[in-house]
Amino acid sequence: MSTPTTTNWAQALVQQRSSPAPAAWLDNLRQQAESRLDRLPLPRRKLEAWRYSRIDALFKEKFTPVVQAPDGASLQRPESNSPHVLVFVNGWFSPSLSSLEQLPDGITLKSLAQTLNDEDEQLRQHLGSIADKDENLFTALNTALINDGLFLHIATGIHLDEPIEVFYLNTASEEALLVQPRNLLVLEEQAEATLVEHFLGGKGNDYFHNNITEILLLGKAKLNHYRIQDESSNAWHLSNIFLRQGEQSHYHGITLSFGGKWARTDYRTSFSGAEADCNLRGLYVAGDDQLGDFHLDIHHNWPACNSREQFKGLLYGKGRAVFDGRILVDRIAQLTDAQLTNDNLMLTRNAEVDTKPQLEIYADDVKCSHGTTVGQLDPQHIFYLRSRGIEETMATHMLCQGFAQEIIDHIHLDSLREQTLQRLQHTLKKLQE
Amino acid sequence: MSAKQETVEDLVKAGYEYGFVSEVKSDTLPPGLNEDTIRFISGKKNEPGWMLDYRLKAFEYWKQMKEPDWAHLRYDPIDFQDISYFSAPKKAGEGPQSLDEVDPELLATYEKLGIPLEEQKALAGVAVDAVFDSVSVATTFRKQLADAGVIFCSISEAVHDYPELIQKYLGSVVPHTDNFFAALNAAVFSDGTFVYIPEGVRCPMELSTYFRINEAKTGQFERTLIVAEKDSQVSYLEGCTAPMRDENQLHAAVVELIAMEDAKIKYSTVQNWYPGDENGVGGIYNFVTKRGDCRGDRAHISWTQVETGSAITWKYPSCILQGDDAVGEFYSVAVTRGYQQADTGTKMYHIGKNTRSTIVSKGISAAHGQNAYRGLVRMGTKAENARNHTQCDSLLIGDQCGAHTFPYIEVRNPTAKVEHEATTSKISEDQLFYCRQRGLKEEDAVSMIVNGFCKEVFNELPMEFAVEARKLLNVTLEGAVG
Repeated sequence: MSTPTTTNWAQALVQQRSSPAPAAWLDNLRQQAESRLDRLPLPRRKLEAWRYSRIDALFKEKFTPVVQAPDGASLQRPESNSPHVLVFVNGWFSPSLSSLEQLPDGITLKSLAQTLNDEDEQLRQHLGSIADKDENLFTALNTALINDGLFLHIATGIHLDEPIEVFYLNTASEEALLVQPRNLLVLEEQAEATLVEHFLGGKGNDYFHNNITEILLLGKAKLNHYRIQDESSNAWHLSNIFLRQGEQSHYHGITLSFGGKWARTDYRTSFSGAEADCNLRGLYVAGDDQLGDFHLDIHHNWPACNSREQFKGLLYGKGRAVFDGRILVDRIAQLTDAQLTNDNLMLTRNAEVDTKPQLEIYADDVKCSHGTTVGQLDPQHIFYLRSRGIEETMATHMLCQGFAQEIIDHIHLDSLREQTLQRLQHTLKKLQE
Repeated sequence: MSAKQETVEDLVKAGYEYGFVSEVKSDTLPPGLNEDTIRFISGKKNEPGWMLDYRLKAFEYWKQMKEPDWAHLRYDPIDFQDISYFSAPKKAGEGPQSLDEVDPELLATYEKLGIPLEEQKALAGVAVDAVFDSVSVATTFRKQLADAGVIFCSISEAVHDYPELIQKYLGSVVPHTDNFFAALNAAVFSDGTFVYIPEGVRCPMELSTYFRINEAKTGQFERTLIVAEKDSQVSYLEGCTAPMRDENQLHAAVVELIAMEDAKIKYSTVQNWYPGDENGVGGIYNFVTKRGDCRGDRAHISWTQVETGSAITWKYPSCILQGDDAVGEFYSVAVTRGYQQADTGTKMYHIGKNTRSTIVSKGISAAHGQNAYRGLVRMGTKAENARNHTQCDSLLIGDQCGAHTFPYIEVRNPTAKVEHEATTSKISEDQLFYCRQRGLKEEDAVSMIVNGFCKEVFNELPMEFAVEARKLLNVTLEGAVG
């Protein structure tokens, strides 16, 4: 049996890249990433970062990159209350499904492909500059095939009050598609925005969604970032989020993971100024044949920054969860306050949890802690509810919802919070069947 | 601030108290490792064929292996051909029959270490199987133990006297294929201790072995095997000091514990080997594989360790909880100062039903010390109602040191409950102020706070060790904070 190698699996995909990039600098970026592919190891169990992620089956599948904007005419426009809606179909921006109202001056909100034609200086300067940390095969693959994605730039002091809502639709296709949106968000000093991202796929569609989001927050900038992953039950989903935070900036991120057969989200945060605040929350719900996987790498490389990481998992059926959170505090990062928690609820016999919270600390005047729990529902809690006349299934339902709501309650947008609660209840109902 | 600097420097410069070399004539093998080395060691000990075969098999396997590099440790590569694999104090004819026959120089060494055998016999009721370099030179309390049916002897003797027990149990918990250093140990182990507690016997005294690396360039490859039969109990103490050296000395020991139904083994270690000088030169490299196997229902294995020495510590005492209701415990205090590095922790494999484990790890880093906790808790599919609680706390003293926590938690059973907590902090100004305000000297206040930080672990040590450990900690951290 021949084992796949980096060269033949990734190179085969890159070879299908059609035309050269519209700009020379981008072509350069792609080429360089391509040349690094050979040197990057194939993610396997033996690599610490992939120890529990079980990804071997991915390399046995044959994917086709989407190299041209697909026709989205047959698709329905997603429902949204936001005045700024962008829809990407198989990784490509679809103008017909999107609706962008007039934006205040100083805000650029476009598709990456459009921006390339405009020769945006910000884009050229920052694209790829934040994602240079800990490159792996998948991030290099995304870069080697950059085509389209989201580009947001907000100038100094501008606040965008309404949320920006982005939908990534993955459609059915005869071949398994490789979908790779590439996003760049730059918030200049004191700029503020809210971004909501939905990752959706049709039932049973088989594809590999491999996205990268680079986020640069300059001094005192503030971003609320909600991500709801509800891919098809046959999909592979890999999100890589690279975040760099300037002095006194705030990042408030929530990722909810419901779908996909294999769904992994990697967060890499570092700082470029002191006293910044980074809040990461996540909820993963995984059932039969699903993997919910979160990897955090919070690098405190500036003094006096705070970070809070709170992740919760609900496992049922044969669901599997992986959590790997690392807080690294450099020698100069005195007065760091970092706290990480990970709680997992196993509702069934065959569920599985692997968790690995890590602290790596080189500074002494810090407050760092992590806490992890894995367990099932407390029978006494169930008994308490049952003794008040609530059916067992209902009691389970209520307790699970309460567990998950600790994350969902941090969504500041009312409609989105409602929507995600309904999504959660939909899954919990399945549990009762 | 400047006062703090000074005291830290004092601490770093404080010489190693136990750094002296006793001159005893040794029968030492020149450096190098090949099949002949192993045949020499085996021949020197008059070992039976099966023992030699075991060693050679392990050596063959070791040659195929790669030295592990995953630990959070930095050290110069070890040249395994530059180490002498055998060193035994010279003996005239037969081995010593009583303490009188023991080389007086050797006895003086123990005196300096504050462990006069006679005194210990009388005062502490501890039987000491003293290991000086590689050969056991004196074993006391043999008879009293024999009356109880307890076997307490060196591994070399056991190979001759109890071959069926050794063949049955040696390598059954840590096979030679387990890891690089365990394979090396299996090939070249010099000596060690064998303890066998028969069914229903509660060992009448606490057993103890003092280890001491003495010969320059001699690696010490100890092998310890403790078997506790059904319903028996034993408490074993291991303590170490070593003389000052410039070259790094390698220590790769293997400890195997086997607890049958209702048996209880308590294994306590105080490790204070030479940590290297103020520039991080020299010091012991300590790569140890320790594992206990709870084979029967309700078996209980408890590891307690106080690690203050060694330049490099790589050590993960583990418990395999096979029997239902088995209990595993790990209590650890690890101190790194100077340029010491420690990567230590435990593994708890929950296999049986209602198995329980507790992990309490306290890491203290000062000066340039790097201290890592690395642990695994695995709840197998059949581990119904298994429980684990893990607490890892790190204390940082000074801004050049590091404290790290790498726990791995794998759960395959929903009825299992796992809790893990870790914190990292320094001694707070408030705590110090509180103590100073009440008239305590700064140093005493720090010592008090640090001792309080480690109390949970010290409480688990047998009395004699608890006293020694507390003293050791105070000496180690003398003037570390101001």
